[in-house]
Amino acid sequence: MESRRHSLLFAQLLGSIQRCPGFEALAGLVVLFAVFSFTATRFLTLESLAGIVTVASELGIVACGVTLLMISGEFDLSVGSVFGFSAMVFASLSNVGVPLVIGFVLALLVAFFIGWTNGLITVKFHIPSFITTLGTMMLWRGVLLAWTGGFGVRFWGKSLFLDVLNGQFFGGFRASALWFVVLVAICNFALTRTPYGNSVYATGGSREAARLLGIPVDRVKVVNFIIVAVLSGLAGCVQFARFASVDPLRGQGMELEAIAATVVGGTLMSGGHGSLVGTLFGVLLIGMVRSGLVMSGAPAYWYQAFVGVILIIAVIINTKLREWAK
Amino acid sequence: MKVGESLVKMVRISKNFGRVCALKDVDFEVGYREIVGLVGDNGAGKSTLIKILTGVFPPDAGEIYFEGKKVFLNSPKEARDLGIETVYQNLALIELMSVTRNMFLGREVVNKFFGLIPVLNMDKMREITTESLKDLGIDIRSTEEKIVNLSGGQRQAVAIGRAIHFGAKLLILDEPTAALSIRECHKVLDHILEAKEKGVSVIFITHNIYHVYSVADRFTVLDHGIKLGDFRKQDVTAEDIIEMVRTGQVREGICNS
Repeated sequence: MESRRHSLLFAQLLGSIQRCPGFEALAGLVVLFAVFSFTATRFLTLESLAGIVTVASELGIVACGVTLLMISGEFDLSVGSVFGFSAMVFASLSNVGVPLVIGFVLALLVAFFIGWTNGLITVKFHIPSFITTLGTMMLWRGVLLAWTGGFGVRFWGKSLFLDVLNGQFFGGFRASALWFVVLVAICNFALTRTPYGNSVYATGGSREAARLLGIPVDRVKVVNFIIVAVLSGLAGCVQFARFASVDPLRGQGMELEAIAATVVGGTLMSGGHGSLVGTLFGVLLIGMVRSGLVMSGAPAYWYQAFVGVILIIAVIINTKLREWAK
Repeated sequence: MKVGESLVKMVRISKNFGRVCALKDVDFEVGYREIVGLVGDNGAGKSTLIKILTGVFPPDAGEIYFEGKKVFLNSPKEARDLGIETVYQNLALIELMSVTRNMFLGREVVNKFFGLIPVLNMDKMREITTESLKDLGIDIRSTEEKIVNLSGGQRQAVAIGRAIHFGAKLLILDEPTAALSIRECHKVLDHILEAKEKGVSVIFITHNIYHVYSVADRFTVLDHGIKLGDFRKQDVTAEDIIEMVRTGQVREGICNS
């Protein structure tokens, strides 16, 4: 009797965990935080936390878009290339004396265009977005390398606009953290409280059913491709504002990190389910792994291996939780 | 019957898929407050005809009149806006979304933020969902429940509830009883009759002639993309219709209206 009540309670608990988006990633975050607090002596300082947040924010701006797109059932592997390309456009225009705000807007327009073509190609020719964006990832990276001859660009001037994009404002924390939080809030609101959000979930949940109900599924996907590209471009510009330099390989590998953060946060690869709160915790987790490992004295190379392991464990836990909750 | 006298009139509809002829010169009509049974064996063209009427794809040839006016339906949304509601065979429910969100998908109740940004009015939608499902005698624990956690019958009920709630003029049911228990079937048949009482016309597509026979006023029989005929209920028995579907021929002496 007693044990039955316990198992019932357990089931209810699992049920309510299920309804809390991002709980698993939050739990992982707490565990890792505790571990690193022991293994890395300077982990529990404000600068260390600021470092984590800075890394997480730049990745997170991209991951916001990746989450929206993944919920609607598509992928974008080209985000890293768009990140680097937009940053380079921004940097180059700034160096030839174009006002920074205008250079910034043009860089985002380039990203908009790339996202738009990604979406159109995927939707019009009915090809998997994995392929489309694998192609455009290589295409834009290649164009970027050819254009720059492989050389990076530095920006020597000082500008208020760069501070707005990513200046330090408090104990090592940077403006990118604010942009990231604002974006999470906006995207989360759009996803959960507006008709557009409903269309996104429906498009990813069942394309055919959504279409029969009159939802313009193709347009929803194209819009999400544009959103993810513009956010990647924004993140590129934000990171350029931090380093005041950009090289043509900037953003390489970011596509996979952003997908990893999104999936760790509980978003389904197959679409139709996911949350931005989960992604928020997912990017913090990945940012924490990056600094935590280094501060614990592990060679930086171990970072990728560790993220890989976390990704797999997170997905196993998510899948199990979903099975138990049924 | 003149154009103005029927709710839907489809004239000489043809549709080919590649070299396959799915429909050839089919006329189809639904009167006001009429329940029409659309029957025929697999591949007869029933679903194709319905998909043309619901704007999923256009016909290669032919005309469609709705309430006497010629219409061109380019998307499911346009058909929905006219007052044509469909319960598809696959139900068109999104499994990972809640009952309420499914109910209002594509036509959410919103408040305008700053007169500009549409924001979901979840309370209102929950209220309407609870009420309209209760009206139909549909029993669901919570409208927050996701579709994936419902039984086949409950899912069917939600899909039908949605169509009836919004279905102002014409309700199309594609195999609505296929996956149901006997008790659930009778509920669905009752819902169809109730819809007619409210002034709605119904197209009922099914393999189960006995189900459709018990509620329909008239039958349209298709065979390999060609219409065998329209038959009023008083002129045929259920067995006659089964015979037609099976053989693809109309026995002599049956009155084709």
